[in-house]
Amino acid sequence: MSTLEPLDAELLARRQTALLRLSMRIAAAHDEGDVCRNIVEGLRDDALGYNFVGVFLLDAATGDRVLVASAGWDDFPIGFRVAPGSGLSERPLLDGRLHYSSQARREIRHVHVAHSGSEVDVPLVLDDRVIGVLVVESDAEDAFDDRDLEILEAAARHGAIAIERARLLAAERQRANEHKALLETMQDLSGELELSKLLQGVLERAVSLLQVTGGELAIFDDEAQELEIVASHSIGSDSTGTRMKPGEGAMGRAAITREPLIIENYQEWEGRSDKYEATTARGVMVVPLLIGQRLLGTLASVHTESNRTFGPDDLRLLNLFAPQAAVAIENARLYTEAQRQRRYFETVVQNSPVAIVTLDLDGEVTSLNPAFERLFGYHAQEAVGQALDDLINTPETLAEAQNYTVDAAEGRKAHGIGKRRRRDGSFIDVEFAGVPVSVGDERVGILALYHDVTELLEARREAEDANRAKSQFLANMSHELRTPLNAIIGYSEMLQEEAEERQLADFVPDLGRIRSSGTHLLALINDILDLSKIEAGKMDLYVEPFDVREVVADVASTVQPMIQRNGNRLEVDVAAGVSEMRADLVKVRQVLLNLLSNAAKFTERGVVRLNVSAVHERDRDWVMFRIDDSGIGMNSDQLGRLFEAFAQADASTTRRYGGTGLGLVISRRFCRLMGGDISVTSQPNSGSNFTVLLPLDVEAEGGAGGESAEVAV
Amino acid sequence: MAKILLVEDDEMNRDMLSRRLIKRGYDVVIATDGQLGVDMATQERPDLILMDMSLPVMDGWDATRALKASAATRAIPVIALTAHAMSGDEDKARAAGCDEFDTKPVELARLLGKIEALLAGTQPAII
Repeated sequence: MSTLEPLDAELLARRQTALLRLSMRIAAAHDEGDVCRNIVEGLRDDALGYNFVGVFLLDAATGDRVLVASAGWDDFPIGFRVAPGSGLSERPLLDGRLHYSSQARREIRHVHVAHSGSEVDVPLVLDDRVIGVLVVESDAEDAFDDRDLEILEAAARHGAIAIERARLLAAERQRANEHKALLETMQDLSGELELSKLLQGVLERAVSLLQVTGGELAIFDDEAQELEIVASHSIGSDSTGTRMKPGEGAMGRAAITREPLIIENYQEWEGRSDKYEATTARGVMVVPLLIGQRLLGTLASVHTESNRTFGPDDLRLLNLFAPQAAVAIENARLYTEAQRQRRYFETVVQNSPVAIVTLDLDGEVTSLNPAFERLFGYHAQEAVGQALDDLINTPETLAEAQNYTVDAAEGRKAHGIGKRRRRDGSFIDVEFAGVPVSVGDERVGILALYHDVTELLEARREAEDANRAKSQFLANMSHELRTPLNAIIGYSEMLQEEAEERQLADFVPDLGRIRSSGTHLLALINDILDLSKIEAGKMDLYVEPFDVREVVADVASTVQPMIQRNGNRLEVDVAAGVSEMRADLVKVRQVLLNLLSNAAKFTERGVVRLNVSAVHERDRDWVMFRIDDSGIGMNSDQLGRLFEAFAQADASTTRRYGGTGLGLVISRRFCRLMGGDISVTSQPNSGSNFTVLLPLDVEAEGGAGGESAEVAV
Repeated sequence: MAKILLVEDDEMNRDMLSRRLIKRGYDVVIATDGQLGVDMATQERPDLILMDMSLPVMDGWDATRALKASAATRAIPVIALTAHAMSGDEDKARAAGCDEFDTKPVELARLLGKIEALLAGTQPAII
């Protein structure tokens, strides 16, 4: 260290001024680089006489000193890096003090430079942290005295404060810029409703905001519980379509934790997915895209450069970006889904074979589909704006159609079949439905559907005609069969009598068989005739008043021989309130006889009960006949087929128990003709219960089946 | 013994029914169509007529109407016999003037019951 020599007053004053200028320059600087350049420039003042000056700032990530500003060091470019472990300028970093080497070449850590006779290294200290070094060199050895060191320390102190201020300012400005960028990004993105474009846009904005190499965006597929990469940007290969399970790779991990994830060195990361073996990514940062707690997807940003690291700033930025992006994506998804559904329904309506027309609340057409055009012959452009009822009605059908329109407009469903007029004046039979259309609570219009049933009605008429023809045929046939059967039964009966009289006992049983077979055949024919009459609509009701008790007594005595045949007992009970009813006596009798003889047939050494009571149900008075037996009963399968023609529990039943297999069918038809019905419950081996419910007062025309077209039988 | 006129065109039915009635002691006369039936009724004055309804020349309804229109035969009870078991048939037969109605094939016991009831209640031809 050289001894201090007195400076002349003028030089002293010039140095003071230079120092003041230096302070002002530093204070005026706006950013880190400016501050450093101004330190350098200020120190180069002739009055101070330092010609070889440099400012290094510490790169926190690498520990390198990075040259930010220099003067007189033409060999070293701005950005030049000095690694830890070399150079005299490292000394202040290690102890936070100023170091002066009066003979720099002698120092072990000396890095050869042109001007290194002597060197001062001053730390730039901020809050006890060294953030850089001010290096001043001279060609000459021993060129700096204590006054120089004071000046340089003062410059370093001012510089450090200015750097801090500049950094704070820069950080603030950066945040402001980020917010601005973010805002602009979001404005751009929120306008994008096409999902695929939006996804790519979100990713590209993220990449540009973070100033990284590239990135990926994955959407969580709720159904498959997988992430699917839907956008990929500059990550080497296009990864779009790649699917990953939660937990797999960086995105999979963030999907599970719902937390951002930073991976400093992806190449060495243990959680790497094998789908990314080829990647050159170095740093990876992933954030989950969440709406509340619902996972929408994940956004990954990737850098490939060794000097780029992900820090708190990046995370902060991405954390700001991610929720906004999630909302934009969700909106686009909802919109896309709504569009898709709209298109779907439009397609359905356009391709529907049913004519569909929408009306406003005044009944004017707002839209119609091609099926409507085909059915009615009106094109959309001529029908829209017209009152539908006027377009497709005749004066005869107008009032009725308008009623339906009013119904639908007032929120009621309308449904019916009727004739409507086509554009060319021809008529069609249509089945139609009018449905009110509401959005929320507000009625906005009417949807009307028309289905051409012209052919259907024609087919139904034909089917009914065919059915009547069939019934007619059956009736005729049974009539034709009865004539010869008459002879068979009559002659065998005669022969049987004859054989008995002449004591030809051998013949009697065989003749009996011929006769009983004939009788059975006759019963069958009669039943078929009954059924065909019912189906032809020719079974008339003869409603008359009669005493229920008398009929029950009569029926009970008629079936008595059958009851006794199997060793059964008949118990009859008519409740006190039952007396007279109005119904078809013959049919009531036939139904009761049929049910009681069935009960007797399928029960052995048991009880058959007939209970009659008065019932009030569905605002009507009824007479209820219950026939219970303790016989063989039926399983559910047999019950299901019970009222079908020829559906005795099985074929062998007919042989064993006799009967035509039509009795129950006819009985039920009779009851329904009278406005009543028969129901049954049964369990195998624990008997059956048949319940006949008939109106106390049968309406004469009530429920006559089929149409009353004249059929001559 | 009561005399019964059987009006029936079907040979077998006629044979069978007449034989069974004869066997039970009735005197049976036969007609094979409606016109003959009316003629026979006038000539033979039977106590009762069994009238098939589907008959050639004149059907059973017209024949019955003719019988009931004539003072000479009005009092003779007529039982309609028909294979037409449709429910309207009985009304139609009664409307034509038949006193009773039975379906074919004949259940002899039931028919005999109806015959006896009518014969027992036969009133003189006074209106």
